[in-house]
Amino acid sequence: MLETMRRSPLLRKMGPLLGLLLLCFILAFLSDRFLTVNNLLNITRQVSLNAIIGVGMTLVILTGGIDLSVGSVVALAGSITAGLLSGGHGLAVSLAAGIGVGGVLGLINGLIITRQKVQPFIATMGMMTIARGYTLVYTDGRPITGMPEQFRFFGGGYIADIPVPVIIMALIFLAGYIMLKKTRFGRYIYAIGGNEEATRLSGINTPKVLVWVYVLCGTLAGLSGIIMASRLNSAQPTAGMGFELDAIAAVVLGGTSLSGGVGTIGGTLVGALIIGVLDNGLNLLNVSSFYQQVAKGIVILLAVMLDRKRGKGGA
Amino acid sequence: MVLKSKKRVWAVLLVVVFSIGLLAGCGSSQPPAGEPAKKAVVGLAISTLNNPFFVDLRDGAKAAADASGMDLVVMDAQNDAGKQMANIEDLIQKKVSVIVVNPVDSKAIVPAIEAANKANIPVITVDRSAEGGKVVCAIASDNVAGGKMAGQYIVEKLGGKGKLVELEGLPGSSAANDRGKGFNEAVKSASGLSVVAKQPADFDRGKGMKVMENILQANPEINAVFAHNDEMALGALEAIKAANRTGMIVVGFDATADAQKAVKDGSLAATVAQQPKEMGKISIETAKKILAKESVPATIPVALELVVQK
Amino acid sequence: MKELLRMREISKYFPGVKALDKVEFSLFLGEIHALLGENGAGKSTLMKVLSGSYKKDAGEILLGGQPVDIDSPRQAQELGIGIIHQELNLVPELTVMENMFLGREPLNSVGFIDEALIEEEAAKVLDELGTDIPPSAVISSLSIGEQQMVEIAKALSYRPRILIMDEPTAALTERETERLFSIIRRLAAGGVGIVYISHRMEELFAISDRVTVMRDGTYVGTVKTREATFDQLIKMMVGRDISARFPKEYRARGPEALRVENLSRPGKLEGVSFTVHAGEVVGIAGLMGAGRTELARAIFGADPLAAGGIYVDGQKRVIRNPADAIRAGIGLITEDRKQQGLVLGLSVRENITLASLKRFCKHLFIREADEGKVVDGQIESLRIRTPGAGQMVKNLSGGNQQKVVIAKWLATSPKILIMDEPTRGVDIGAKTEIYQIMNMLTASGVGIVMISSELPEVLGMSDRVLVMHRGRITAELPVGQATQENIMAYAAGGE
Repeated sequence: MLETMRRSPLLRKMGPLLGLLLLCFILAFLSDRFLTVNNLLNITRQVSLNAIIGVGMTLVILTGGIDLSVGSVVALAGSITAGLLSGGHGLAVSLAAGIGVGGVLGLINGLIITRQKVQPFIATMGMMTIARGYTLVYTDGRPITGMPEQFRFFGGGYIADIPVPVIIMALIFLAGYIMLKKTRFGRYIYAIGGNEEATRLSGINTPKVLVWVYVLCGTLAGLSGIIMASRLNSAQPTAGMGFELDAIAAVVLGGTSLSGGVGTIGGTLVGALIIGVLDNGLNLLNVSSFYQQVAKGIVILLAVMLDRKRGKGGA
Repeated sequence: MVLKSKKRVWAVLLVVVFSIGLLAGCGSSQPPAGEPAKKAVVGLAISTLNNPFFVDLRDGAKAAADASGMDLVVMDAQNDAGKQMANIEDLIQKKVSVIVVNPVDSKAIVPAIEAANKANIPVITVDRSAEGGKVVCAIASDNVAGGKMAGQYIVEKLGGKGKLVELEGLPGSSAANDRGKGFNEAVKSASGLSVVAKQPADFDRGKGMKVMENILQANPEINAVFAHNDEMALGALEAIKAANRTGMIVVGFDATADAQKAVKDGSLAATVAQQPKEMGKISIETAKKILAKESVPATIPVALELVVQK
Repeated sequence: MKELLRMREISKYFPGVKALDKVEFSLFLGEIHALLGENGAGKSTLMKVLSGSYKKDAGEILLGGQPVDIDSPRQAQELGIGIIHQELNLVPELTVMENMFLGREPLNSVGFIDEALIEEEAAKVLDELGTDIPPSAVISSLSIGEQQMVEIAKALSYRPRILIMDEPTAALTERETERLFSIIRRLAAGGVGIVYISHRMEELFAISDRVTVMRDGTYVGTVKTREATFDQLIKMMVGRDISARFPKEYRARGPEALRVENLSRPGKLEGVSFTVHAGEVVGIAGLMGAGRTELARAIFGADPLAAGGIYVDGQKRVIRNPADAIRAGIGLITEDRKQQGLVLGLSVRENITLASLKRFCKHLFIREADEGKVVDGQIESLRIRTPGAGQMVKNLSGGNQQKVVIAKWLATSPKILIMDEPTRGVDIGAKTEIYQIMNMLTASGVGIVMISSELPEVLGMSDRVLVMHRGRITAELPVGQATQENIMAYAAGGE
């Protein structure tokens, strides 16, 4: 079977999915608690935050960029929405403000990258620190609580027994999939990641596409931050630390190349699930949290090595 | 047959997955199928294990659990409220009998406790409290009293006059709120004392050092430092040493092994001894009582004492 | 005469291509041996085998009568084989001497780089070459010709017994070329065997002792230069008459399609004006750095213009970016298709519609049926050989990749197509097909601007020839009056 896998590009694309299924199979064998409807819903809910950010990160990485600011945007967007809500503002206004802040920070990232020609790594690293700092300023370093009860719906509610964050995640993946597969914008994202100069010389306004990609990534991080605040029923100024790395890991685990141009949105869902299943499964199996980190690190390294092999194999 | 690179990568992945499985197999003390009496399992959701205090707490709980024939499952949130929520959800999925939680954040823990309530799993908080949900028993040092103890010690040492620095714990945690409250009550009573700087350093030694460095730059005269835990106090001591400043008394909180050594050699003036091992032990004993359907008090204060050089 | 080198029945395969097929070559002590052939004939491949960049798949290399295996460039250097590549391999930010000793810096007793020794050695070699380039000059501050000298100095600093020069005059002015020739003669007189690769016939007659001709990866023959004639060499090189190589169809020219007036860009273009008519091919010749590519990019809006006007079908068009140019009906096939023309990781289909995707879209969504129809049409009419429209472009051969680039522009229905080196890196068969596509385009009324460094191509496919020198057009010739000689003269700046 491995022989066929090496030959067939389709099966090769399925590699991450096979990895996930294998992981699930082993965990189901080791723990009788793992393969229950409740636990699977539990995993998808835990994964939803990282997966939603992962969609935005996939777009960014497909263009050959990176966004390190998403974790801080999570904290800032959650804090602003929570702050407005606890200050007595309406739900719609507060949600729009949180998501909007994410979009605006993404816009600033995009403009700095395209207009000032700052490398994405540096530009978004700056934004990461700025947004974190501003979150601490806004919250005075303390968690914000006292939101109305209905706010908890976004992170903790259910529709037809399915957790709301899972539904939001599913809708975003569907939208992301259609956008990448069926629209001009999606096609241009792949083209820019593959060869930005050739794309520009084909008459495409590449800076505009790039700016929109960062806006979408920031917006999704903002949305994630709101769900997080809703789930904890409080906005933590330290929320989202390290989320950028989890999102990048999910994208890479899903087979998207860090050098851009190659990858899928479905892969990112699988990547996020691999991380979530690993966390959940190792918890269920009483593996010490110290070893859990080791395991997660090994899996991410393996994914990057796979990415390299893929790049070599294809060229 | 030559192993092609792609295959080799997947082979390595397989090995890793299997070895994690084996690791898990060793770590878990799930009884083999067919064993009659199932042991009671207690879940301990701890805020971080990157701090000796909580490692002591876990060790106390572990020892007590072993002694009373119960299984203990420890989950480490690495000081991340979101991760702690996931940890407790996993404990609920595992159907543990009792959840002992040491919250990262008193407010953010509430939805997790409510989820446990819904699954009919009793919850005990330890060290830090929760601001909502149904908690059967809250086990904690009397942090307000401890903060007051430290404050009074500083008032005495300085003769009621001088400039003070307060290094606060993780904002929003009950320990930081309570210790700060007690300390400020004590120093307010002496009119000659003023708190010239008050900044959070998140219970972290590295941050304690960094924050103290900045405070030292800004304040040429400081007579005493109170840190909400020993880690920050020890960090502050490093900063003071590096700046070649003298004549400052530093008081910590928790009496960790490092801090006790520092008190012995005179670099740390005092620390307030909490008894993390005792807290861990009491939490398991309380869990046992709950499982035996015995009544338990709503709060159990754990005694504190001031440790000074003898 | 003593034989320095003999290469016997050398073969080299690349996936799907036989790059070298039993090629013979020999070199005497102090000989200047020219290697002649068209692009893609295998000259550079053969020399890369000799200099260790490629490993031969079959055959034998004898150095001074002894068989040797050459596995790496470093080993070739140790065997006394030096090579000066067609493209310059210098680090622009470093100095002349640092480049010359890159990777083998002598150390002093403390373990630091011995700057004094490097400078002394570098100065010695540069002096032998008779140049006055200071060893401490930074490469980026030198002219292309001076950089070429540094490459030669670098190769000589290894004291090679065999020196391979791959198209060394491509970027040189006439004066610099003459200087280079005298250096080459001096080196040969000193006993160094020189392999001189070029497709410029005049140069070979001027400098070489013997000529070996290659065609399509095979060995055609070796002749003494003194006994050879121009026509004989052409015939050996091409294998047939020149007219068959360029299937140009001449037709009556249509109305003016493109007019540019006074295009200027500081340091690059100076007041360039010309017109292109519908159905006409205007060839632009000139040396490297003459501003031909810059002109193409300026018309296409890829680089900003300081001044000048662009008129399409008599209408003034403001072109600030490629999108404006495409809207005006202008397409640009760039000289470097891998860097600027194609997205190698995308499919044939996605590349073909990249510049015209809007046409196949309803609102934001791509109508795949419409897109597929156009793509299939292009694949068929340009005879792009691909397993399917979904094939990744990077898996196609150079010629088929180039056809994909052309198809991309045809999908935009251009009125004017600028083709910058349209047949570079393309094998002979595909070249002819590309020329036929050009005929097809002119027949349908497209005006073509063809930039080419291959004079036979310019002469064979153009209706009119423009010659550029230092950002200006120095001559405009009907193709009937143009010859390789007068084009070269204008390209070098003569009037």
